[in-house]
This record gives sequence, C-alpha cells and structure tokens, in this order.
Amino acid sequence: MNSKIKFAGIFFLFISFFIVFYYALKSDTKNNTQIMVGTRLPNIQLSSLFNPIQKISLPSSEKENFYLINIWSSWCVPCRDEHPFLVKLKNEHQIKIFGINYKDKTSNALDFLTKLGNPFYYVGVDSDGSKSIEIGGYGVPETYVINADGIIIFKHVGPINSTTFEKIVATIK
Amino acid sequence: MKNFLFLLIVFLLNQQDSFALFSQDREIKIYKNIRCLACQGQSLNDSNSDFANDLKKVIKEKLNNNETDQEIYTYLTARYGDWILFDPPVKKSTLLLWFFPVFILVIGIFILYKRTVFEKSKLS
Amino acid sequence: MTSNIGFISIVISCILSLFILILFFKHVLFGGPLHSKFFALYKASFFLIAASFVLLVISFIISDFSIVAVYENSHTDKPFFYKFAGTWGNHEGSMLLFILIISLYGYLFLLFSKQLNFSLRFTTIFFQTSLQFAFLLFLIFTSNPFEKIFPIPNQGLGLNPILQDPLLVLHPPFLYLGYVGFSLVFSLLLGGLICNYYNQSWAAIAKRWIFLPWTFLTFGIGLGSFWAYYELGWGGYWFWDPVENASLMPWIASTALIHSVLVMDKTKKLYNWTAILTILTFVLSLFGTFLVRSGILNSVHAFANDPERGLYILFIISLITFSALVIYILKSPKQTEGESGFVLFSREFSIVANNYLLIFALTVVTIGTTYPILLSVFTGESISVGPQYYNTILAPFVFIFLIVMAIGPYMKWSKNSFAVSKNKFIAFLISSLIVTILVSFLLKNQNFIFILGVLCSLYLIISVLYEFAYFKNIKLKQFNFARVFSHAGFGFLILAITLHYFFSKEFTAKIPLGESVTYKEFVIKFSNYFSKEDKNYQELTGEYEIQKNGEKIVLKPSIRRYSQPQQFTSETSIRGEWLSDMYIAMDYTSDTSDGIGIRFYHNYSIRLIWLSYILITIGGLLSFVRRKNEQ
Repeated sequence: MNSKIKFAGIFFLFISFFIVFYYALKSDTKNNTQIMVGTRLPNIQLSSLFNPIQKISLPSSEKENFYLINIWSSWCVPCRDEHPFLVKLKNEHQIKIFGINYKDKTSNALDFLTKLGNPFYYVGVDSDGSKSIEIGGYGVPETYVINADGIIIFKHVGPINSTTFEKIVATIK
Repeated sequence: MKNFLFLLIVFLLNQQDSFALFSQDREIKIYKNIRCLACQGQSLNDSNSDFANDLKKVIKEKLNNNETDQEIYTYLTARYGDWILFDPPVKKSTLLLWFFPVFILVIGIFILYKRTVFEKSKLS
Repeated sequence: MTSNIGFISIVISCILSLFILILFFKHVLFGGPLHSKFFALYKASFFLIAASFVLLVISFIISDFSIVAVYENSHTDKPFFYKFAGTWGNHEGSMLLFILIISLYGYLFLLFSKQLNFSLRFTTIFFQTSLQFAFLLFLIFTSNPFEKIFPIPNQGLGLNPILQDPLLVLHPPFLYLGYVGFSLVFSLLLGGLICNYYNQSWAAIAKRWIFLPWTFLTFGIGLGSFWAYYELGWGGYWFWDPVENASLMPWIASTALIHSVLVMDKTKKLYNWTAILTILTFVLSLFGTFLVRSGILNSVHAFANDPERGLYILFIISLITFSALVIYILKSPKQTEGESGFVLFSREFSIVANNYLLIFALTVVTIGTTYPILLSVFTGESISVGPQYYNTILAPFVFIFLIVMAIGPYMKWSKNSFAVSKNKFIAFLISSLIVTILVSFLLKNQNFIFILGVLCSLYLIISVLYEFAYFKNIKLKQFNFARVFSHAGFGFLILAITLHYFFSKEFTAKIPLGESVTYKEFVIKFSNYFSKEDKNYQELTGEYEIQKNGEKIVLKPSIRRYSQPQQFTSETSIRGEWLSDMYIAMDYTSDTSDGIGIRFYHNYSIRLIWLSYILITIGGLLSFVRRKNEQ
C-alpha cells in the first residue's frame, strides 16, 4: 500500500516535471520585450536629420489617434528589408511615422532615404544610442505604435514582416 | 575595416585626453549587476558589445547626476524588465525563490533532530 | 570513407547493445544460463564506440570537410591541438564522447570487478548497456557526428576563437569522465537492488566507483574555473553561470554520496539515503546535460542549441530517472541492522549533519538555476538570478560546514566522543582565533563576515594540520591521506575565496599612449604597443607598466582579430606575485574614437584558489592508495 502511494506520487511528479520543461523548451524563455506596452513613452528630444537646428519632442503633441516610431540605420540590413512595409504603412494608411536614425552617418542616412524612399514624417537623430535606451529600445530595427495619450500600445523588436504588418494595421484601426 | 590594426594604431596616435571612462568600485558594482542584453549571460562590466558600451555611458551620466543605485535600477527595469538585473527582485512571484531554501533548512533540521540519539558522552 | 566506417561502427555497437539487453531479459524471464559471450559482446560494443570516436578525431585532424561537424567547426589553418580538440567542441562530437565515457566505465568495471558476484556483474552491465543504448539511439537519429555534406566544401567555418585554447583539450574530457562516470555507480546500485546484493559489501565496492568520477569532476570544474579566469578577461573564477551550476550540482551530490557510502560501509546505516543520493547524482548529471544543450538557458557557454534535441534528451532523462525510482521503490533495502538513529557527536552524526548542509547547498543552487525557467513558464515573467543570491544564502552555512568538517574526523564511530577531544577543539579555536586576529589586524579589515570566513577556514586547516603533525604516531598505512588533503584543500579554498572577495581590486580606464593613471596603490602607464600576424589571427599588443609601492612590472595584453570565423578576442596578461595576480585585459569595440580601454585587476590570493583545487583533487587520487584496514 505504501509503495503504491510512493509510485503515484513519483509518477505525478514526473509528469509535472516533464510538462513544465516541455513548455519551457517550446516557449521563448528569453526576456519579455513587451514590458513597456501600456506605459507612457518617456520624453525624448530629437534634432532633425535634415536640419540640426530643428527639434522635436516625443511623445508627439500633435493630435493624432496613432503614430509610429521606428528606430533604423543605413548600416542595418534588416532595416533595409522592412523599409517597404514602412512605405506601405505611410501610403496606404496615412499614418505618421517618426524615424529615429540610430548611430548613423548623416550622409549615409540621407542616401538610404533617397534610394529607398522616405516614409517618415520626421527623422530624428540618435547619435550615441542614448535616446533609444531612454525609450527602452534594444537596437535596430524596432517599431512602436503610440496612441493619442502617448501610451505605447504596440512594440516590436526586429524587422517588420507581413505578420507584424498586419498586426500593426489592426492596431491602428 | 580593411586593416583593423592600421586603424587602431591611427586612433592610438590621435589620442585625446579622455579619462571620462575611468570606472571603479561603486560604478563597477553597478555594471556587474546589469545584464548585457545583446550578449549571452554577460554583465555590462564583462561585455565589449556596442549595446553594453552605450548603456554604460547612459549610466555613467546618471551617476554624475548623483542618482542613487536604486534610481538607476528602477530606470532600467521600467524599460527592460527585471531580467536586466542580476540580483533577483524581492516580490510576490519570487517569494518561493527566497522561501524554499528556508523551508528545506527547517525540514532538514527537523528530520535530523528526530534521528538523533542523545547519549551521554563518555571519556573512554 | 572514414565517416562511413565511423557511422557503421556506431550502428553495430547500438545493435550489439540491443542484443545484450535481449540476452539479459531472456535469461531473467526464461531461465537458462546467461549467454557465455555476454561480457564479450559488451566489450565489443565498447571497442566499436572507441573506434568510431578515433575515426572522428582523425577526420578532424585531416580536415575531412565532407563531414558536417568538421566543416562547421574546423579550418585547415587551425593549429593541430585545436583540430584534435575540436572533435568535442561541438554538440555531436561531444555527444559521442559522452557515450564513449559511459561505455568506458562499463569496460573498466568489467576489468576490475572479476572477483564480484556474477549476478551483480551482469546486472550492472545490463543497466550500463541500457544507458549506452538510449544515448546511441539519440546520437544516431538526431545528432549523428558523421553526417555528410555534399558537395564537399574546400574549407571549414572554423572554431570559435575562445575555444582555441589548450584547456579545450582537457576541460570537457575531464568533466565527462566526472559526471558521466557516475553512470556506473548508478548501474551498480540498480544491479545491487535487483540482485538483493545491496549491503555493506556493496558499499565497499561502490566506493571506488564514486571516488574515481568525483576526482575527475573536481579537477574538471577546477580547470573550467581556471580557464574562465585567464581566457575570458573578466578577472573572475566563478560566475554562478547556469552552465557552471549544471556541473556543480552533481559535484555537491556526489560529495554527499562519498560520505554517505563511507557511513554505509562502516556502520551499516544510511542504506536508503545512499541509494537516493546515487540516483540523485546521476540524474543531476543528466539534468545538467539537458539544461546545457537544450537552449533553455542563457549563458556564456551556449552550445549550438536545439530545442528539439532538448526534447529528446528530456524524454530520455525522464525515462531513466523514472525507471530508477521504480526499481528503488520496489526493491528498496530493508534496514536489517538495529537502530537507525545517529548518536549525537559520533562520526556518522557529523557526516550526516554535513550531508544535510550539502543537500541544502544543492537545493539553493538548483533553485537559483531553474527558478527563472520555471517562473517564465508559470507567469511569463523574466528574472535573473545572479551571484548575489548564491553568495548571500550560502555563506553562513559554509562557515558551519567548515567547523563540522574540522570536528567530525576526531569523533569515533557510533559513540558520543565529544568529551574525549574537547580539549583539542578548544586548542584549535584558540589558535585559529589568534591567527585570525593577526590577519585582521595586518590586513586592516574588521568586517564580520571576513573574520568568520577566516576563522572557520583556519579552524579546519589547523585541525587537519594537527592530524598531520601527529601521524608519526600512527602507522603510515593507516593514515587517511585522502581525507587530510581534500579537507585541507577545502579549508584553503574557502580561506582564499574570502581573502579574494575582500581584498581584490578592479578598475577600468582609457589610457592614452604615454600617459599614466593612478588607482589606489597602483600607477599604470601605457608605454608601448606592437602588432604581429599569426596563422589565423592578427594581434595588437599593448605594453603597460605597473608600479606598485616602488616595484615595477610590465604586462602585455592584446586584442586578436581572428579570420575564421571573424571574431575579436581579448587576451589577458597576468603576472603573479606570491599568491596574488596582477591582471590586465584590453577592451575592444567597433567605436575606438576614445582610445582603447583596459581593465585592471589585482586578484588577491587567487593562486591559493588554484592550489586548493589541486589539493582537493590530490585528495581524491589518494583515496585509491590502499590503507591497512581496508580490503
């Protein structure tokens, strides 16, 4: 009788152990990149890529239901890949996109936009990476969707693909 | 980067007086407690990656503004979550982390006590 | 060609293993004599695996890029040693090494157990073969080291520069000879339980099959610690990194097991506890293997991870553990000898007390390592558990542990013998107190933890030295050298760790060429630099003059840029004085506009830590020297 209880106990323990680690393997146990979703975007001030004297503050004070922030660089290959999606977002959905040019050379950045199109309403400069860190960025590329109250309602680390594109479109409706 | 050595030598010869990145003691202690997010398991102190260096600069400025350790850690966890700190937080979900060893300790002492035979010591 | 033979060799070994298992079941279920070639078949399976391994090594040495593993992890420009060691610098190759060690221990057992009970022998081999079989299946179907690539590339992708180090030749093999080696005592236990041969004689036999892998594991972990220190450039020797913990967990369990089996041998107690510890030790070895290879952990030691393989390993481990526990429950030993209690202040009491502390430490390490994983599964939250957690919780218990270690050996078996040695204990206390006060005064530190750490480790060291000083009175053959060396080694280890923690210094700076920087008692001048080119890297070396209290030394750290694969590494420059090190590493970054940074460390008493590792390992080796009252 005693051994039967031990058996059952051990069997149960194993199944739980196996299931827990099975889930651990399946899921991405890395850091949660969504921690800032639902919080207000921290204040940052950026000078323009095109005109260093011109400055802008984010969150935007302009009355928009939604707007995007995209961190990008000319030297970043996935940024190149996702750029058409940004252009599409601007053209087909008339959404304002604030670009943050991350640790880049001005001439290269301008070149990039000339060659691949400029979907950005405004392009700010983050020369040392501190602005991106201020808004909880991990690197390039990274995209935020902000609502009228300055709340981050969507955050995506990495390049936008068609799935992410659909998600963003759904969010800004 | 055609010849990195050449580049490095060029930079070495063009050294500016920059003791700005002299770090010790409290600063190093903070860097050791922060995870480099672009690396595998390294702290800011142990990492040479760009992200680590950028973050170190941000923190160094905060230290120059006399921010406390806790203020810096709160700044980071608000943006990157508890994971970025190596010291585990003390909150509801980590209660077991701290409590379980105590539990084992108590159980162990109890079992040990029950199995001890208290005999008088003899001088043989 | 070699790859085909290598693969076929493995497959045949796997089939032979299956055949061995079938023969065992046939004998057990249907009676009749066991097949006469049972052991011969096992030996054959071992030789086939060994041959396969040799062929893989040869493939790496001759740079046979038709094999995927060689292509992905080697390069013709690599120096010979790293071609050789690259065999196990990847998942598939190291898995083959893993299986080789399982098989090797079975073979060694066959060689050195000829006088043992026949049933125990073949049952043990049965279990060892099961392990071998399970992992061979895993290897063949998911991690074939001989997998081919076509068309054959001209050149390989090269080995990670951090792994291009002499210690790659030693560290993994020693670790495997360690924690994989516990497979044999595991099989021996299951064999003993099934054959109703689990008793005091079993303990006497099992001892060596615990000491052997324990010694290898101790040395392997020490090597890893040493390697991390001088190769990684962060001035530390232990980071509580999850993969480090994965090797530490079986070490703690096996240390408890060593002492438990000694009690079982001497007093016929702790039968159940020893069995549990044996299973626990091997299960922890397997669990560590799983953690490291599955991609579930975030660590510097990250293998090329594969969650699918992780799933297979998880399944195998669960199956093995479950089966072992079922057998244990069904055949658990009935304590036949008298009382099962422990007399206060007897030798076995002190061993049990420290066993308990070891298990506590094991729990802490296990929880710290797995909590982030478990938490994220249950709540989606991510946290990290860093060194502070382990150091804070474990420190006070280490101190108690040291005292019990010091007192224990002076106790007699099964008797309360405190009174007999009371005066000695007081003498030890007084002498260690005096030395501690002296140290605290000389080094100008009165921190409470520091004093406790020094006091308790000195207490242990003094108690051991006393034993050593009086060994002329005991016959040489009866003296327990193994215990003296390993316990002294542990005392020195904690002493060194304490000193290192409180007196090491570290700072980082960017020093322009020709300039100096002052930090506490050190003046560091960046005096010169030069570059050179080697077989597979370019190197920039900086010369730094360090002045400390008037003495001057020169350190030459460097940055290397490897070509295959393209990667930068920082090579440290270390110079020792007495037991401490002065240590510099250069920082490399793609942004060199501010100049090159260096990290300077003064690692206090770090060399004593290396010495301690060696002492403990020697202790393990000395356990194989026959003592007069041993069989």
